[in-house]
Amino acid sequence: MSRIQRLYEDMILEHNKKPRNFCVMENHSHSSHGKNPLCGDDYYVYINCSESHIDNVSFIGQGCAISKSSGSLMTEMLKGLSIQEALALKDSFLDMVSTDISPEKKKSLGNLKVFEGVKEFPARVKCAALVWRALEDALGTQHGVACTE
Amino acid sequence: MIDNIFHHEHKLLNYAHIKLKEIKGLRIIGEAKEKNAIISFVLDTIHPHDAGTILDTLGIAVRVGHHCAQPLMERLEVPATIRASFSMYNTLEEIDSLVAGIKKIQEIML
Repeated sequence: MSRIQRLYEDMILEHNKKPRNFCVMENHSHSSHGKNPLCGDDYYVYINCSESHIDNVSFIGQGCAISKSSGSLMTEMLKGLSIQEALALKDSFLDMVSTDISPEKKKSLGNLKVFEGVKEFPARVKCAALVWRALEDALGTQHGVACTE
Repeated sequence: MIDNIFHHEHKLLNYAHIKLKEIKGLRIIGEAKEKNAIISFVLDTIHPHDAGTILDTLGIAVRVGHHCAQPLMERLEVPATIRASFSMYNTLEEIDSLVAGIKKIQEIML
C-alpha cells in the first residue's frame, strides 16, 4: 500500500462522500466553531449531553476529505460515551495522528484507526485534528471557537 | 534573453491552458488574455488540499489554499484553489505530468 493509499483509506473516502451526522443540531447543549483560516476548513460541532453522557453529536461545514471524514467518524464514535471517555478518545486520536502509539491504545480507537496514515503527512495533521479540537472546546467552554493552525 | 524567457513561459502557459481545459471537472480561475505564466484552478467536489497532497507525492509542486487572498476566494465562492506556476526551467513534458497527476487525483478521490 502506497503512502497516499494509507492516507486516503477507502473508509475515509467513503465518509468524505457521505458524511454521517452532517447537520445542524438545533437543540444542543454544547457547540464549537472549528476554523482553520489559512486552509479554509470550517466546521461547527454540536453536542447534546444529558447529565455526564453524550446523547447526540453532529457537525456541519466544509473542508478537505481528511477533515470531513474525521468529523463524520468522530460523530459515530462519541454517542453514548461519558465526557471523560470522549476526551480520552480525543487524546488517543490526536496522539495517533502525530506519533507512534501502543497497540492497546490503537485498539481502543476502533474505526478511527484508518487515520493512522495522517502521521506520515505532518501538514495534514491539523485537518484531522480540527473537529476534535472543536469537540474539546465545546465540552470545555460550551460555545467557543477552535483552531489547529 | 528576457524575451526568450517570456516566450518560453508563455508557450508553457498556452499549452497548459489547452491541456487543463480538456480535463472534465476542472475549472480554471482567471482567464485574462494578458497574464503571467500561472494557472489557478479548482476540481469539482475535490478539495484543493487533497489535490495538493496527492500531487506532492507524485513529485509535482503546486500551491494550494487561499494564496493570501481570502476575500477573493469568498467573492469567487471557492474554498481555495490549486495554483501551478511555470518558469524558464519548466518543460512541456512537466505539464503532461501535471495533467496525468490531476487525472490520478480524480481516480483516487471520485
